[in-house]
Parts: sequence; C-alpha cells; structure tokens
Amino acid sequence: MAIGINYESGGSDDIIPIVKYDAKAGRMFRRDRVNGDNEQVDITRSFKAVFDFENLETGHIAFPVGGAPDFALARIGDRAPEKPSADHRQGARILVKLTKDCGGDVRELASTAKAFLRGLDAAHDAYEAGMAANPGKLPVYILKDTVPITSEGGGNKTTNYSPVFELTSWVARPSDLTYIPRAKSAGITASAAAATATTHAGSSTPPATGSSRVSAPVDAEEDFG
Amino acid sequence: MSPFERYGIAHLSPSSCNTFSAAPAAFILQKCMKRSNPVGPAAHRGTSVETGIAHGLQYPHAPVEECISKALEQFNTLCALSIDSRADKERSAIPEMVKTGLVELRPYGIPSSIQGHVSHEVEGLSVPLIGYYDFEWAHKNVLIDLKTSHTVPSKIKLPHARKVSLYKAVRGDHLSARITYCAPKKVATYELENYREHLSALERICLTIQKFLSLSDDPLELASLVVPDVDSFYYADAVTRQEVYQIWGV
Repeated sequence: MAIGINYESGGSDDIIPIVKYDAKAGRMFRRDRVNGDNEQVDITRSFKAVFDFENLETGHIAFPVGGAPDFALARIGDRAPEKPSADHRQGARILVKLTKDCGGDVRELASTAKAFLRGLDAAHDAYEAGMAANPGKLPVYILKDTVPITSEGGGNKTTNYSPVFELTSWVARPSDLTYIPRAKSAGITASAAAATATTHAGSSTPPATGSSRVSAPVDAEEDFG
Repeated sequence: MSPFERYGIAHLSPSSCNTFSAAPAAFILQKCMKRSNPVGPAAHRGTSVETGIAHGLQYPHAPVEECISKALEQFNTLCALSIDSRADKERSAIPEMVKTGLVELRPYGIPSSIQGHVSHEVEGLSVPLIGYYDFEWAHKNVLIDLKTSHTVPSKIKLPHARKVSLYKAVRGDHLSARITYCAPKKVATYELENYREHLSALERICLTIQKFLSLSDDPLELASLVVPDVDSFYYADAVTRQEVYQIWGV
C-alpha cells in the first residue's frame, strides 16, 4: 500500500446501478435488477439526465465476457493510470442522475466504445463552454439523436452509432448525486475514498450571506444635480 | 403518487424548508400531520409593521403617524383573541419599527410591486418552490425583504439569505437583492452575497424533504425518525407543546 493503491475489492458499497449505451444499436438502456435477474429497459427516447462532469473519470476499462468489468480510471484532471492489460481499452465513466420519466435515480454510465466516447466528448465540450456562466451547477442532457459512424478494416464494414447529447439546462447538484472515488480508481484507497467524498459542488467553506450595508440608489438626475 | 401528494403538500417555500432544516419535528407536525401552528405575537408584529411601512411607501406623503396607526390597527385585529402575554411587548415596539423602516426605505421611492409571488422549478422536485417578496423597485433593480426584530444583526441570517436568493433567481440576476432589518432604535439594509450558493442550498433542502417524505406514507413513522428540541420557539405555543408531548413523549 506504499503507493496508495488498494488492490482489494471495494465491497458491495461500490455497486451502483447502471445505464448502458449500446453503440451497435444506438440505444440507451437502464439495467434494473428484478428478482435477482438483470432486466434492460430501453430509455433511448425518454433519456434525460444530470451529468456529473465535475467528476468524470477517464482511463482504461476491461469488459470481460461473463465477468465483472475492471476499471483503471482517474478523475478528469488527475494523472491517468497505466493501462493494466491488453484487454483494457480507453474508456470513460460518469455518474448521471436520471429524471423521473426515465428512472429517477443515480446511475453509472461507462463505455469504451469510440462512438460513445465521441458523443460524450462533444457533450463535455458543451459543458465546458457553459460552466463559467453556470457556476456550481451541472448540465442536463437529453439524447437528441444517434448518428451512424461507419468504419472499414480487414475487409469488413462496421457501423456504430454515436450519441448526440443536447445540453438543455443547468441545475444545482441533486442531493443524491454524490461522487465517491471507487477503490478501483487509480491512486484511491478505500479510506481515501471515504475521506475525499464530495457531496456537492462549490467551495470548501460555507458561503457568506452578506454584511455590506447599502442605502437607496441615488436617482440619475441627483447625480448630475 | 408523489411523496408530496401523499401528504397533500402542493408546494414548498423557503419558510417550510427553513422549518425542516431547523426543526424537522415541527415540519412533520405542520405539514404531514396538519396540526395547527398558532402564530405568536412576534410574527403578527412583523406582519403589522410591514403593513404600516408598505402604506408609507405607497403614499410617500402620508404622515408617519398614519402609517403607525395602520400597523397598530392590524396588530390589534390579529391579536384580538390572543391571551399571549408577549403581545403588549410586541405592540409597544411597533411605532418605532415603522418609523425606522420608513426612514430607511422611503428614499427608494414608491415600490413597483409589493408582496410579489415567485415560483421556481427545482430539477427532480415534484412540487414548485414558491415565495412572496416584500418590495421591488424594478426601475431601480432593487428587491428588498423586510425583517423586524428587537435587535439588528451584523449580517444577513442564513435562512433569510436562502429566502431572498429564491426571489433573485426568479426575478432576475440583475437585481440587487437586499434585506432590511428593522428594530425600534436601529435599522440596517444588507446586500445578499453568494446567491447561487444559497439557492443551491435551498434546492438541496427541498430534495431532502422529498426524499424524507418518500420514506413512509405514515406520518407517525416519519415522526419516529426525529426528536424535537422542545426548548425551541417552534414548540413554544402551549397547544403545540402538548401535541409534541403526545406524539413524541418528550
């Protein structure tokens, strides 16, 4: 543990329900656990969510067939971890808060599909363009469209669909949209994860309310009188 | 059915949010159990002083005595059936509060609106957040909420900051949002700072209330999750105090 990496499992607290973007079909699914089984609900048309871009994680992810995914990620702006294996591909993970029409809870959205990352990147650009005018707020996106991207290689032609997220509004951070660095994220130990948990955006100290005394504005004509 | 529908709550207000924040048991008592919440003489004093000052602002040439008379008339009506011993003390403070308030606010001129209604949608909240501001001078880009008390604080109190942040959010960023604290011997008007943060806090409280109400459709179940501080002024009224004892046993 000298280098501050926890190789142990993060425990059941790490499990966050997911939404999954299927780049091959261009559909967004909410995966629910029903009576011990996974059930996929197509929310492509109703998808609307608050994106926690403040805590977007990027790095490498492996999605082994039939196994649990393995993440080697760092919060955006932090140093990215090394690629753990040949099976890991460049990817991103973000927490989203679904609006009540499509679920209403907090979900994890992660992918290594280039078509998805392209759409997420564009959404992040829109976030960065608007964040100065919306301090302390998070963006709300709808899935406006999916556009086909065709690639050719090895004599095969493959079509994937890139999501087009449209930024529709800015909102205060929902109280349950809480970012807690996961034990499998780079450089994060379980205790550090707990210690650095953030529950809301903004400064680290409570905001002042105001103690500057003011008087009635002077009329313009009095200014020149 | 949303948690709010379950309890017949059509909206939230800064006042109800502040109650939930300061005294969750009082919130349950008032909003979930629909128990009466008798208003004391101090609250009536605030309403009455505001009436007197509003009269003086709408009619700039009205004598101060006329404004005081309007305020006292309303206070006497509101407290007509009150046996609360604090009523005399509050009544005696009204004339000076009206005077200091008018000295402070008449320089702003005639307000463009008084007791304006605002409504704000919070993402993820199934009811609106509403409120009523006291005075706005739209042509001067100033909005003021009036607070009366026996002493003037050195800064804006946090619940008041949240309340006025809502008004500013709805009426417009360009407004200078202020709070005038009016006491018998002193008055001060402070400008609100960090309104986005205070609005954000208010929104978080709203969502917390929603989450709390969603825990159960049984108000007694919700009551079992909190314990009232019976020394708080929220439970000072004798009837309320008795109800608290019957429900919580404290």
